[in-house]
Amino acid sequence: MFVPLSIISEFLFVEPFIIFHVIEDRVTSFVLIVFISLMSAIVIPMNIYRIRTLQKSTTKIGGSIAGSIIGASAGICSCGPIGFSIVSTFGTIAGTATAFLTNYEIPLRLASLLLLCLVYYTTVKSISIECKIQ
Amino acid sequence: MNKRLVVSVVFVVLVIVVAISFSSYQANLLEMHDKTKYLERIAAKTASPLVNLENGSPPLGSESAPVTIVEFGDYQCEACYHWFHNTRSTLIDNYIETGKAKLIFVDLPFLGRDSPIAAQASYCAEDQGKYWEYHTILYTFQDGPPDSGWADRDRLNSFAFSLDMNIDEFNECMDSSKYKKRVKANYDEAVKNGANSTPTFIIISQDGAIEKFAGAQPYPVFASMIESML
Repeated sequence: MFVPLSIISEFLFVEPFIIFHVIEDRVTSFVLIVFISLMSAIVIPMNIYRIRTLQKSTTKIGGSIAGSIIGASAGICSCGPIGFSIVSTFGTIAGTATAFLTNYEIPLRLASLLLLCLVYYTTVKSISIECKIQ
Repeated sequence: MNKRLVVSVVFVVLVIVVAISFSSYQANLLEMHDKTKYLERIAAKTASPLVNLENGSPPLGSESAPVTIVEFGDYQCEACYHWFHNTRSTLIDNYIETGKAKLIFVDLPFLGRDSPIAAQASYCAEDQGKYWEYHTILYTFQDGPPDSGWADRDRLNSFAFSLDMNIDEFNECMDSSKYKKRVKANYDEAVKNGANSTPTFIIISQDGAIEKFAGAQPYPVFASMIESML
């Protein structure tokens, strides 16, 4: 998740050669990407395990996927190829939507991180109860 | 409730995927419709396409510089703003002022209704010999999301005023939409050259070799590309 997020947020460039570049005023955004990727990498497999092994409901994986998607979409640069395709297809209203994702990148990523932390907490709690040896 | 959430998330993802696929499909279809254009495009991918820069900005730097840097950009683009403030000045100091390269800006105004208007304003400034000053002021005062008003007509006028331009002449130029076609021609040229994001750069050497890449990339990328072409 870290690699695609870094590419869409323009921290990682693959052309003309692979280069990683974080400018000073976007450090916060980069740090949030690291945490979102880390939390997604922990929370999603935990919930997959919970569903497959314990045959439990899909309640929490919904939250973890939502958290990851919010975190990922918040970084979509409206100037990038995804933004260009959306604006070219749907016009200026889509432009405003992608601009919203870019401008509220930090609050959206914080919200996503909060959601992932909440899912992590409830999942850990639920696993420790469900896996308790009687 | 939770099922609804999962379904909504899947639906949003699907809409995004369909939108992107439809957009590229439509572009391919349009190209295929005009077979000659399509074949030209295929040929351009294998050979060096010649970028038509006649509608672009006046060159920044020496006309006879061996390397040409073409920037396809939008005045409302945040990534262009980052490139302008983090990479461009070092590039100017080391390659443009030394006569090794020249920079040409070609508009790719797609982010909102103020983008093409700002581009037209830059050419109205060119009429008064202040294209690059106006370009600089636009990227200096970029503030807020596209179409938030920072590049509306009143602000464009105030930028012209702060550059001591003749406001009557500037207004006349803007009211007549004199450069609307030029900006559209630049947009078409950018798309023709495969630019689908801003900023996109094409670096052209004296012998016609071309390197294209996108994004607000750091200075070492440009230095490396330019050095390999000198």
